[in-house]
Amino acid sequence: MQLFIGGACAGKRHAVRQRFDAPRWHSAYVGSRLETWPAFGEARCLVLEGWECWIGQRLAAEPDDDRLRRAMTRELDALRAWEAEQGSEAVLILLEMGRGIVPLGLEKRRLRDLNGWLAQDAAARCERVWYVWNGLVKSLTL
Amino acid sequence: MIAFISGGARSGKSTHAEALARRWQTERGGACYYLATARRSDDGEWQARIDRHRQARGEGWITLEEPIDLVAALERVEPGGTLLLDCLTLWASQLLYFSDFDEAQGVAMIERLLVEARRRDVALVIVSNDVNEGMPPEDAEVWRYLAFLQRAHRLLAQEADEVIQVMAGLSQVWKRRGEERS
Repeated sequence: MQLFIGGACAGKRHAVRQRFDAPRWHSAYVGSRLETWPAFGEARCLVLEGWECWIGQRLAAEPDDDRLRRAMTRELDALRAWEAEQGSEAVLILLEMGRGIVPLGLEKRRLRDLNGWLAQDAAARCERVWYVWNGLVKSLTL
Repeated sequence: MIAFISGGARSGKSTHAEALARRWQTERGGACYYLATARRSDDGEWQARIDRHRQARGEGWITLEEPIDLVAALERVEPGGTLLLDCLTLWASQLLYFSDFDEAQGVAMIERLLVEARRRDVALVIVSNDVNEGMPPEDAEVWRYLAFLQRAHRLLAQEADEVIQVMAGLSQVWKRRGEERS
């Protein structure tokens, strides 16, 4: 599993397209829900993007941050298990959003916190982590 | 030579950029120019900020004032000179909100600026501010600005010979004289 992280419009998708040949895209930005990714189970390489949307969709139903964090972690573990089973690769694209001012609204604070934890939990499970900055890409892992 | 320097607010970008421009001037000869993109204003605080920046740069800079047309400003620089543009965020907002140019024309203007700088042998140091690593904006107009600024940043990072991220006054080299990371 590999993780690409960077700010909005940093060039994350382009960085992924440059490195992976014809991957399947599972994107929250075109309305796909996180839990439907197994439909692409036969893919050699599956890109998942829009995690902040997927977190946002679960905030109301799960008021407990720790439980929600664990639920998101289980999704990561399911992807790892799928990779091992299929010999495929999952590529995660995450939005860096933690470097601004603390938002006033509770929902936004929760989203920002959970997105940051997800990034930590994802990085801990990925063989390679990439930081995308103004279209340039740097490996954060050795 | 073209350098692109970016980072957060008060990270030390301007100090680093000024030192780099001075170094290039020393290596290359020619004069050092400062491109002021801020419009003059009757606002006392704004004028004080401009004066403070000017004082911090010290003697020996030729100041050019041009809020939008970067290529026109470049044409006033003698070949062999070094031009510092600090900072691109102000230019981006003026282009979007106080001119008839759209995003594509703004990007084309930067492309021409780079081509003309190389053709005229002007060393260019461009400073900007990273504003895209906080909560994504909710307002569509703010998104438009962010997307435009990022387009400009990606183009500059791609084309520049030297790309530096400044954090807490320390510089991280992303790229130097064509040695690009994969």
